[in-house]
Amino acid sequence: MDELNNIAPKLSGIKKDPPFRVPENYFEDLPARLQSRIAQLDDTKKEKPNTIVRILKPALGLAASFAIIFMLVYWPLSKFQGKYAGQNQAGTEAVDENYYSLVAGLDENSLYSLLQENETEEQFNDEELASYLSTTFNDYDLFAEIK
Amino acid sequence: MHIGDQELVTILKKENNKELAFQLLVKKYQEKLYWHIRKIVLDHDDADDILQNTFVKVWKNLENFREESGIYTWLYRIATNESLTFINSKKKRSMLPLNEAGDYLMDNLEADAYFEGDEMQKKLQKAILTLPEKQRLVFNMKYFDNMKYQDMAEFLDTSVGALKASYHHAVKKIENYITVNE
Repeated sequence: MDELNNIAPKLSGIKKDPPFRVPENYFEDLPARLQSRIAQLDDTKKEKPNTIVRILKPALGLAASFAIIFMLVYWPLSKFQGKYAGQNQAGTEAVDENYYSLVAGLDENSLYSLLQENETEEQFNDEELASYLSTTFNDYDLFAEIK
Repeated sequence: MHIGDQELVTILKKENNKELAFQLLVKKYQEKLYWHIRKIVLDHDDADDILQNTFVKVWKNLENFREESGIYTWLYRIATNESLTFINSKKKRSMLPLNEAGDYLMDNLEADAYFEGDEMQKKLQKAILTLPEKQRLVFNMKYFDNMKYQDMAEFLDTSVGALKASYHHAVKKIENYITVNE
C-alpha cells in the first residue's frame, strides 16, 4: 500500500470498493437459472442421435434423394430404351441375315430371271405405251428404232 | 454446508449426486467469478451471459478436468477465456480495430445502469480501459482482488516477474491518465 502511495498517490486516493452493483436477488436466483439451462442442454443431448450420424445426416439425405431419382427416372428410362434399342437392333440383324443368305443361295441366271420377272409384271395398254413413247422419244428416234 | 474443493471434484465426477455437487460449486464460486468477469466486460448483462456460459462449459467438460490444477484455477481460466472471447467477438462484429475494444467497453461503462461509483471511480475505470488487455487483467486482479502473484501466474500462465512488471506499468499509466484528466 505504501509502495502504491509512493508511485501513484492519486490512484491510491480513489475508493477501492467495486463501483458496480447487481440486480436484486441476482446471486440467489442464478443457481436455479443455471440448473434449468443445463437441464435443457441435457434434454437436447438425449434427443440427438450420435455425432457421426448427425454429421452425416445431410449427406445421407442428399444421397438418398439421388438414389430415389435414379430409381424412379433414370433406371426405368435407361432400361426401357435399352430394351427397345436391343429389339430394333435384333430385328435389323435378322432381316440382314435372311437377305444375305437368300442372295448367296441364288446363281446369276436365277437372279436375272427374278429381276426380269419383276419388270414384266408391269402391264401397259396401248394408249399408255403410245403416250410414253411420244413424250420420251421424237419421231426420228422411233423410226430409227423400228428400222 | 461447507465442502472442500477436492471433495466437490470427487462427487462431480460420479454420476449420482453430480447435480447436487454442481449446485454447491456454483454457489461457492459464482460471486468471485462474476466480479472477475464484470471487471473485464463492465456491463452486467454481458457478465451474466459469460458467467452462465462459463458454468455450462464447466458442466460439459467435467470429465476432462484432470485435476493438475485446483478447480478454482480451472474455473478462473475458463471465465477469463470466455470473457476475452466475448470481447473479441464484439470487436469482430462491430468491425473495430484490434486495439480498440476499449471503445466498446467505454460505451458499456457509460450505459451501465448498475454502475454506482463516483466520478473518480468512473475515471479510474476509464483509465483501466486504456490499458492493453493483459495489463488490464493483471491490474484488476491485483488492485481490486488483492490476488497473490503466484495465483495470478497460475491463472494466466505467466511468470511472477512478468506479472509484477506488468502491474507496475499499469499503475504508472493509470496515475498518468488521472493526472492528465484532472
